[in-house]
Amino acid sequence: MMNINLYMFTFTIIIVSLIVNLALSLYGVLVKPNIVKKIISLTILGDSANTFAILIGYRAIYPVSPPVQLNIPPSPSDVFQLTSLSVDPLPQALVLTAIVIGLAVNIFLIFLAIQIHRLYGTLDMREIARIKGVGYE
Amino acid sequence: MLLRRLLTVFVLMVFIVLTSYTVTVLNVFGELPPRSLRPLAFWFINTSITPWLSYFSAMAPETVTAIIWDYRGLDTLFETAVFYFAIIASIALFRGIEEKSSRGRYAGLSKIVRVVSRILLPVNIAVAASIAVHGTITPGGGFQAGSAMAVAPLILIIVFSRFFLKEKGLSKNLLIALRGVGLVGIGIASILVLIVGLLSGSYAFIFQNQPKINAPIGLPSEILGFPIAGTLFIFNIFEFIAVFAGFTIIFILLSIPEDIAREALHDEH
Repeated sequence: MMNINLYMFTFTIIIVSLIVNLALSLYGVLVKPNIVKKIISLTILGDSANTFAILIGYRAIYPVSPPVQLNIPPSPSDVFQLTSLSVDPLPQALVLTAIVIGLAVNIFLIFLAIQIHRLYGTLDMREIARIKGVGYE
Repeated sequence: MLLRRLLTVFVLMVFIVLTSYTVTVLNVFGELPPRSLRPLAFWFINTSITPWLSYFSAMAPETVTAIIWDYRGLDTLFETAVFYFAIIASIALFRGIEEKSSRGRYAGLSKIVRVVSRILLPVNIAVAASIAVHGTITPGGGFQAGSAMAVAPLILIIVFSRFFLKEKGLSKNLLIALRGVGLVGIGIASILVLIVGLLSGSYAFIFQNQPKINAPIGLPSEILGFPIAGTLFIFNIFEFIAVFAGFTIIFILLSIPEDIAREALHDEH
């Protein structure tokens, strides 16, 4: 069994790196002029947020099990055993929903990007602004 | 320009430091990850399959599936609606392009790749069907199974070319119809118990699965010893069909050769 302080410190590193990921993807969405890079940043933003939600639902115990009942039909002691070992199922359900909606949004954005490229011949926001004759700032 | 870049870096650093501080030191989300279950999670796991408390139970061994299609079923219904509208909007963006693209042009990859993908495709389909059918007892369900199944047409498009898919009968319109079947199935499954209840003259709820107090009608929780958890199995199967068809439509539209698409756009203007 690993030292418990070291174990929790590992999770702190994971949390901080997820937050760095969030910051970098926000930078990409807001600052990068290329639409494809904006979409990539948006997917990284969504995935970091999802990973963070899963982490909130995890449990710092050993052993830890998925929220699946293996004994069918279960006895009351089986259910008690599962509640003492299982991770939180609710963040997993919410993240599943979030992944599918993120996917739907990404599909639509990708189609828009393809169509923009067909119409303007570029995916650079500055170029499109120049073609349309408006300023990009 | 340099000042702006420095300002951006400064803002990002402040964001990282402040958020890390609030989450790891101030513990706004509590200790991460927690050691004990939250009360809500305790309730979900305690009632996901409990035959002695059947009025509170979803009778599904997989708690996540129970939450997705039973406890929070309406959420998932609207999520399916969002997915549906995104795909409809994508099809609408590409309208008029698909019809003109049925030229007999075969490219395809080398023979090795084609033979290997012929061997692997049945495996892919079997895995996807297994995920869909076992959605109530193992991690996974309709969405995951549909995504896994959609890999098969993706491989077909890349290895054999998109016209091969059309020749085999997997056209865009057929897939839209298939997607309609899946969505109608989800809609019917959500009011199935209500219909039975109305016909037999007793109370029932929308999105009801197992019998509840005052609403004694419910679907069987298992068939021949296999726990299907009533409507959850039906939802998983139809979601599998709908997601598979939706993704395949997207892949077919994305694989339109660029010159054909440009030609169609040019004709439109």
